[in-house]
Amino acid sequence: MGSCAVDGGCPSDYVAVAISSVSMILLLMRSLLPFLIHKVPHVKGSGFWLSAIQVFASFNLLVSIVVSLRFLKFERRHRWQSCYIWEAWIEGPLGFGLLLSCRIAQAYQLYFIFVKRRLPPIRTFVFLPLILLPWIAAATLIHTRRRLNVRCHMKTLWIIPATCLHAFYVIPLVGYTAAIRHIEFRFHEVKDLWRGILVAAASVAIWVAAYILNEIHEDIAWLQVSSRFVLLITTSVFVLIFFSISSSQPLLSQISLRKREPREVVTMGRALGIPDSGLLLERGPNPLVDPNEALDKLLENKRFRQSFMAFADSCLAGENVHFYEEVHELGKIPLDDPVRRIYMTRYIIQKYIVAGAPMEVNISHQTRQGILCTTDLAHPNLFKDAMHELLQLMTMNLAKDYWSSMFFMELKEEISMRQDGQELEHFEGRNFSPRLSFVENSDDPFHPENASKVSTFDSHDSTLR
Amino acid sequence: MLSVAFHTMGLLCSRHQHHDEAEIEENTQAAEIERRIEQESKAEKHIQKLLLLGAGESGKSTLFKQARLRPIKLLFQTGFDEAELRSYISVIHANVYQTIKILHDGSKELAQNEADSSKYVLSLENKDIGEKLSDIGGRLDYPRLTKELAQEIETLWNDAAIQETYSRGNELQIPDSAHYFMENLQRLSDMNYVPTKEDVLYARVRTTGVVEIQFSPVGENKKSGEVYRLFDVGGQRNERRKWIHLFEGVSAVIFCAAISEYDQMLFEDENKNRMLETRELFEWVLKQPCFEKTSFMLFLNKFDIFEEKVLKVPLNVCEWFKDYQPVSSGKQEIEHAYEFVKKKFEEVYFQCTAPTRVDRVFKIYRTTALDQKVVKKTFKLVDETLRRRNLFEAGLL
Repeated sequence: MGSCAVDGGCPSDYVAVAISSVSMILLLMRSLLPFLIHKVPHVKGSGFWLSAIQVFASFNLLVSIVVSLRFLKFERRHRWQSCYIWEAWIEGPLGFGLLLSCRIAQAYQLYFIFVKRRLPPIRTFVFLPLILLPWIAAATLIHTRRRLNVRCHMKTLWIIPATCLHAFYVIPLVGYTAAIRHIEFRFHEVKDLWRGILVAAASVAIWVAAYILNEIHEDIAWLQVSSRFVLLITTSVFVLIFFSISSSQPLLSQISLRKREPREVVTMGRALGIPDSGLLLERGPNPLVDPNEALDKLLENKRFRQSFMAFADSCLAGENVHFYEEVHELGKIPLDDPVRRIYMTRYIIQKYIVAGAPMEVNISHQTRQGILCTTDLAHPNLFKDAMHELLQLMTMNLAKDYWSSMFFMELKEEISMRQDGQELEHFEGRNFSPRLSFVENSDDPFHPENASKVSTFDSHDSTLR
Repeated sequence: MLSVAFHTMGLLCSRHQHHDEAEIEENTQAAEIERRIEQESKAEKHIQKLLLLGAGESGKSTLFKQARLRPIKLLFQTGFDEAELRSYISVIHANVYQTIKILHDGSKELAQNEADSSKYVLSLENKDIGEKLSDIGGRLDYPRLTKELAQEIETLWNDAAIQETYSRGNELQIPDSAHYFMENLQRLSDMNYVPTKEDVLYARVRTTGVVEIQFSPVGENKKSGEVYRLFDVGGQRNERRKWIHLFEGVSAVIFCAAISEYDQMLFEDENKNRMLETRELFEWVLKQPCFEKTSFMLFLNKFDIFEEKVLKVPLNVCEWFKDYQPVSSGKQEIEHAYEFVKKKFEEVYFQCTAPTRVDRVFKIYRTTALDQKVVKKTFKLVDETLRRRNLFEAGLL
């Protein structure tokens, strides 16, 4: 017992390492679940990266404890097992510090978006390193002043500031979470944050006790072994419960919870409970679609919108119509429900407005800046200018080609057949668009789940090739 | 081809060969000729995929319109008949309203922010007209351009403040066709107005997504089976992520660069200079792995605007051209400036072309996409280059 307390390799150590490995695997599964099982496309932006960094920091924290407290027995000491790397750097700025900083960044984002109703003034990739600075400073101090002994334990006097730094980081988390506690979030953001705070506080308390015992009483073997066992187990449980993706990716966390309906693609509109939109005039003698009518009036009709969207998607201009639809859905959320409005607004901004967004729309610089720098995310006319520009773009550039396309012919046939009460014909192999003769959709951002080909002029093509 | 024929004839006419040997050799030669004829006709009937690439407002769609206006045999689509010309009336009227709105709002902004604000303030009698036209320009549904409205727009256009604002046009997003449409307002507002081909070429619409036409150029050899598929795309940043879908099997890229835009900022990012953006885009396109064997035709476009501008606004306002030194004036200076810009683009081409790709075709053309004669000539040159390359690839040259 005596030697394994110093060199590592006690049975309890192996048990603790096994448990921490299991918790790490469970953590990875939880974070990857929505992406793998429900085939949600990779989402860009700080939301995804914050979750990824949390997983990375959790891993660092666990491994740093395993190595620095000598859970595993190695034949000889290697250079990479240096105390300073693990105890000072990986446990601190790259482990616990990074983990809590991520949650603080998430709470900060939520605070600005839902309380201040504007996009956070400091970008996350600037904010995160900023709040990590105290950790980096502390690690540098410990490293340069050589405050760790051979067994990676700190001098007694230094334990207090080190512990304070750990506890100190829970305070801003509490502060931001308290500021947003009155918001009725649609997803589990606040609940997750409080849970994280509770777990962090409890863990810090247990760590302090175990750590102090481990550091101070270096000579008592059973105390060493048992205290480090408790330390590792607590950390394993902490990282698992602390992790959450709802604060940064509410839609994804919603998807991961809906295990019963794996095939249903959850849109933000559905997740927020916005009912399906659009008139559907199935009866009546008046023609459903009149090319002379203004496009914005026509697009209010769901069937027309679907047909126009299919046409636009076929010539790689679909983002305009998708944007119209989602802004239309936003318009259905009542003004006295700012929380839902803000969710939808934020989602639309990340998907359509931000530079490099997956379905970025073609709008002017001024319009884009107007949206990104707004002081009220719940404002009813936030997307008015963008909508205006895109409707003009669609009217002048897309609409003309649509009227002479097969998509419109199909729509007309469908309407007239419905009016006559007949069955619809199946229009396979006649997808004609004056815009494109051959579109291959295998890498289509608009239809990631199917690799369909829309080919036209098949009979003509065969004579030419 | 001809040399093969002569050689064959020589062989066939020869009498001094041994019968058996001659027969075997004859058959081999005949098979060889057959194979080469087949290859050549296949090369001629080859469908060539051409892409029009370039930054926003570089002239891609105007060239595309020119391709449709030319007397060429269009496959599956119609050229510009009267109905199509008429369909541009709403676009042209929209351009007029949008232009006057940008000018009016621009003058207000300059009047607020500039130190010397008085010269951007509209005269008293034109203020109401200005507000009314700005309001119309902000609508989705524009009214038809009547004589009265045209008169009001002309009055506003002639206001000193608006002319001052127009001279600062590079800081605002004023379309290049502004002057042309403003000078032709009376004709455009006529009751029976039918746009001319020139009007259609000047009409400005941002392209979103991808448009394609297939055509067969009519040349001296009318039996030519050459078919071109020409693709037009949007040039703004958000549109460029769609380009990748078109990059397979491209015979030639026609890259449009508007050389008159060296003092203007992007529509989608007013902090970025258009010429610098074009350079970066050109570099990106050149480095694409799909374009290893693709011919590059660089169209240095908007030469007409460049000619006028370069004598008033020095080239070195653009960071890329900061080492430019003017040498003279007038026509000589224009030519000197043009050669400088051309050399800069050539430098970029050779910097971004790996040694393995050095044999791909690269040609630079000076164009004004609005000029029907110039474009017709340029397309002909492009056609010749591509045919020659085609035959070369098939091993016939």
